[in-house]
Amino acid sequence: MRHSRVAATALRLPRRTLRAQLALLYAALFGLAVAVVAAFGVIFKPDFLVRAGCTADPRTPSPPGACGQSGLSFAGTITHDVQQHLAGVALIAVLAVLALGLGWLIAGRVLRPLRTITASARDISAGNLDQRLAISGPDDEFRQLGDTLDGLFGRLEASFGAQRHFVANASHELRTPLTAEKTVLQVALADPDATAATLRSACEKALEWNERQGRLVDALLTLASSERGIERWEPFDLAGIARNVIREQQPDAGRRALRIDAALAAAPTAGDPALAESLIANLVGNAIRHNQDGGHVAITTAVTDGRSAITVSNSGPLIPPDEVDRLFQPFQRLGSERLRAASGHGLGLAIVSTIADVHAAALTASARPEGGLDVTVRFPPQEPPPS
Amino acid sequence: MRVLVAEDVEDLATAIAAGLRREGMAVDVVLDGTSALEHLAVTGYDVVVLDRDLPGTHGDEICRRLTARGSSSRVLMLTAASTVRDRVEGLGLGADDYLPKPFDFAELVARIRALGRRSAPSLPPVLEGGDVSLDPSRRVAFRAGRRLELSPKEFGLLEYLLAAGDRVVSAEELLERVWDEAADPFTTAVKQTMRRLRVKLGDPPVIRTVREGGYQIGPL
Repeated sequence: MRHSRVAATALRLPRRTLRAQLALLYAALFGLAVAVVAAFGVIFKPDFLVRAGCTADPRTPSPPGACGQSGLSFAGTITHDVQQHLAGVALIAVLAVLALGLGWLIAGRVLRPLRTITASARDISAGNLDQRLAISGPDDEFRQLGDTLDGLFGRLEASFGAQRHFVANASHELRTPLTAEKTVLQVALADPDATAATLRSACEKALEWNERQGRLVDALLTLASSERGIERWEPFDLAGIARNVIREQQPDAGRRALRIDAALAAAPTAGDPALAESLIANLVGNAIRHNQDGGHVAITTAVTDGRSAITVSNSGPLIPPDEVDRLFQPFQRLGSERLRAASGHGLGLAIVSTIADVHAAALTASARPEGGLDVTVRFPPQEPPPS
Repeated sequence: MRVLVAEDVEDLATAIAAGLRREGMAVDVVLDGTSALEHLAVTGYDVVVLDRDLPGTHGDEICRRLTARGSSSRVLMLTAASTVRDRVEGLGLGADDYLPKPFDFAELVARIRALGRRSAPSLPPVLEGGDVSLDPSRRVAFRAGRRLELSPKEFGLLEYLLAAGDRVVSAEELLERVWDEAADPFTTAVKQTMRRLRVKLGDPPVIRTVREGGYQIGPL
């Protein structure tokens, strides 16, 4: 018991560098090769078989005459053999040390690209994520490792960049309303000729910005919770959820004299019903907000090719086709839009995109040639996938 | 003092302008970078309150162009990005000062005043001429120890004349520096305000009328 543990520790302890391990391996292989050659030399020595005849196995004694023949010169042969063997062992030892040294050198040479990769990778990960290893040379293991690491750095850089971008945008979107609120109130309060009317209008303005902040915080929390994924899959019908959303948002549409056309056929699917409601509410809200007075919004739910889908189309300002993808990034607006208390928080379509992602639903969007946007979300056809 | 407020959030821009006008500054407002550049090309502003994230032409670019042109306008940058790196970057672009949002309005006013004082030649915090003294930051003016009750425009006129020292200042110049762009260039506003200011300053007169519509501070 104790013995085996000691052996195990002994096996685990020598955790050397790869270079040392390779050098040792070379030396060991060399030693093995020499040992094999030496063994063959000993075995095929002319008098070995004869001597083996009398000494090899005591259980099968050889005929008496066989040993007696060489018995006289036996002691002399042993002395000679020992000398020879000693010289051989010394030679092998010298060669082994030489092999170890050579192995060390060769391993170092072979592993040099690895050391370069390690040094560069360390440098890159320390804060120069925009740099790449860009290993040149033949398509060998090192090149593959370098290319793989470069791919990893690329994704990391994109991810960190997106994160930084998001934080910068979020801080802008959060601080701007705060600033507007604070300045409006401070300027109104510092006015020596302030009247009830001017103070009231300042308070109303500050409240508008405050409500905007509330909506933004809600949207940020929705985005964060939808990024977490789906904890519990439940069946639901897109048509039912769409009906509720339309009922809730009808007053907003009415204020802008928008016509809402709904064609809601049963479209059963599965996922998180609360997130699905958030998806549809943001789609419809976006369609109402980025519309023109007297425009229209069309909402369709249906099952096509076994997939439940919802489509929301709206009239509105002309969107350049190459801008459409950008609108699904957080805090992206059309170039002409300005930040106002009443304007959207810039997260609606980002939330739609994230919720579609976690449901493995396909999101397609296209700018309408006469202005406005068509967005379709197709849910996957199968039963709820395992979470 | 003539100030340009370039800020894309309209509520914020109008509130800043209203507050600054009450402090006796002549304020113009623009909501995007392109009109900011147009205004800067036409009028020599003392201070530009510049939002960094302007649509049209970015605030950084405006700052860079002003510096390249060797403009005498002082730039106070406003921005929601407030890390040390952002501030260093902003100042590196040629901004004279940097104020992160959200700010206190009183601080904004104080910083604009400090920047205005730095316009060449640099001015003392309290302006004096004869027995008249004026403190721009406290918005008070005195004649021989007597406090003067001045309207913002009268205050602005007196401030500009005192800052000019013994230089003769034309009515056009006064109109440009003390009134904002809403003022009609053919107005008699300068004349009328000057008359009211003289009445409030009392005798003996301290503002001299020089021939061909110029004014100068100093005993007659």
